[in-house]
Amino acid sequence: MTSSISLDSAKPARGHAIARVLENRLPYLIIAPAILILLLVGLFPLIYSLVVSFQHVTMTENDRSFVGLMNYAELFRDARLWEALGHTAIITVIALPLELLIGFLMAQLFIDRMLGRQVFVALLVLPTVISPIVAGATWRLMFDVRFGPVGEILSFFAGEPVRILWTVNPSFVYPAIIICEVWQWSPFMFLLLLAALSNVDQSQLEAAELDGASYFRVLRAIVLPSIAPVIAVACLIRGLDLVRIFDIIWALTEGGPGSMTETISLYTYVQGFSQFETSYTAAIAFLVIALLTVITTVVLKRMELAR
Amino acid sequence: MADVRLSGVHKYYGNVHAVRGVDLTIKDGEFAVLVGPSGCGKSTLLRTIAGLEDPDQGTIAIGGAVVNDLRPRERNIAMVFQNYALYPYLTVKENIAFGLRARKTPEIEIRKRVSEAAEMLGIGGLLDRHPRQLSGGQRQRVAIGRAIVRKAELFLFDEPLSNLDAQLRDEMRTEIKRLHHEITTTMIYVTHDQVEAMTLADRIVLLREGKIEQQGAPLELFERPQTGFVAGFLGSPSINLIPAKLVATADGISAAFENGGTLDLPRSRAAALREAIGRPILLGIRPQHFSRASGAPLREGVISYAAIADLIQPTGTRTFTTIKIGGVDAIAELQAHDVESHGERIELAVDLNRAVLIDPASGQVIN
Repeated sequence: MTSSISLDSAKPARGHAIARVLENRLPYLIIAPAILILLLVGLFPLIYSLVVSFQHVTMTENDRSFVGLMNYAELFRDARLWEALGHTAIITVIALPLELLIGFLMAQLFIDRMLGRQVFVALLVLPTVISPIVAGATWRLMFDVRFGPVGEILSFFAGEPVRILWTVNPSFVYPAIIICEVWQWSPFMFLLLLAALSNVDQSQLEAAELDGASYFRVLRAIVLPSIAPVIAVACLIRGLDLVRIFDIIWALTEGGPGSMTETISLYTYVQGFSQFETSYTAAIAFLVIALLTVITTVVLKRMELAR
Repeated sequence: MADVRLSGVHKYYGNVHAVRGVDLTIKDGEFAVLVGPSGCGKSTLLRTIAGLEDPDQGTIAIGGAVVNDLRPRERNIAMVFQNYALYPYLTVKENIAFGLRARKTPEIEIRKRVSEAAEMLGIGGLLDRHPRQLSGGQRQRVAIGRAIVRKAELFLFDEPLSNLDAQLRDEMRTEIKRLHHEITTTMIYVTHDQVEAMTLADRIVLLREGKIEQQGAPLELFERPQTGFVAGFLGSPSINLIPAKLVATADGISAAFENGGTLDLPRSRAAALREAIGRPILLGIRPQHFSRASGAPLREGVISYAAIADLIQPTGTRTFTTIKIGGVDAIAELQAHDVESHGERIELAVDLNRAVLIDPASGQVIN
């Protein structure tokens, strides 16, 4: 009698327990397939190339024996690699502040409600949605010495024919790349900063106006501190993208003249797919990963501190 | 120090006519309170005076000079905002000094004025903190400090106490009143709270739907409202409005209610009301004009009224009792122990000398 009672009462309890386990684990079960695929396409290649970077694999040689840190030691002797890193740094250091400044000025222009604002904003953001390789190809045409409108316009203002080989002349290749890059990505900064600026507390701005503060004082004391987190994130995103810059340069100069505009991504590509130094390329990739991780960690730390 | 003169001020927001022709003069050193229900245009009017909104029509003069074309910063105005609008990334000291630095005041003068203001407001110990480290009341003090160091000609307050809890609000109200006694600058204060308006104002400007309904000293508005709206807006609990009809009786005029009951109106008012005989009215009796009848002979114009106490709401000092007059619920404000239990039969004395008679059609008070 007593046992039958205990059985009866145990049954619903067990069902309840299963339901509770399901309830707790269900989210994990649901995302499990996606996580698996991500690990497969993300983590596996990463680990595989880490392994390869300690071997000596090239196109002609499929020797899988481990060579220790040989590839990594080679990195420090490779002058072309460090030049490529230098080129990357030059482009990042010039283009990033330019994009930030232009984006900020554009956002300031559009912060006030005006007729057709949405249309203008949509038009201005168009460059960002174009594929970078297309942007590069388009600017190559724009810069073309015979057919390009850039030379035509410059000639008009100069009053005499101006013939600049933008993608070949060593003095103009960097300006060409940076113009194209800034043209494409300033709107991205513009969009983020516009959103940030419209969130600045209106009554603080009004209080500052009544206090008689100048534009720059308001900018320094109220606007910039309040949009600083957005600026930091925007710079981080664009900065990482700039360090990996490839398409625009590939379309404009292919790293030339010589290796003058060869960035780290281009050099890695050349090593991997024209020299077929598979293991060495993997080592370069890990150098870049290490560099970016350090930069990202430092920036995020500083953002935390500022908060 | 300056007077403020508005003439024919209109303000539209798209199709909304927020301010509909306001003429208003606020004297030098006066504490004027703009009060009214939400959406009456009081904040818009204040922002127009500050220059944060441009009037679509009309002129605004401060200290005799028309300021329509001056930017807010050129009007020498200080303003305290509802959400305080402190600069979050500056310390309290920097917040208070901000306006002075912006106007290139010498550093010695800045230090002197900041410490004066901090002392006056009791925030001396908070000067190195940031706004987020302060309580609501402290933020409010900093906002006021930021306004007073400027020594502006005119102070504007936009619902400054509405974000504070009740006790703090009472405290800050007293402080603002004291502040006005100490610095005697012209102040314009916006609120929807009639207690704030009554207690702070030298002059109340009661707004309704973008127009001035009535303006004057607090007690003048309270005791001699010109419209039913003013009578109903001021006073807590609100005035009792009882539908009735004026009828002539053998020795004067009475208010006859829909349920058949009547109340005799004071003889002193008979002459003035003769014209309105036969017309429907709203009889306005303030809760404060009821008292427990003592049995002593009643003054002229005070009548006795027997009622059954329905709901009883003691507040400690006074007790509000719901009774029926002319079939309608009315609230009587009595002494704390005048009524003890629900259903109790009480003999009341009603002072009809101060009753307000309102024409229900026009909303105007019948004098």
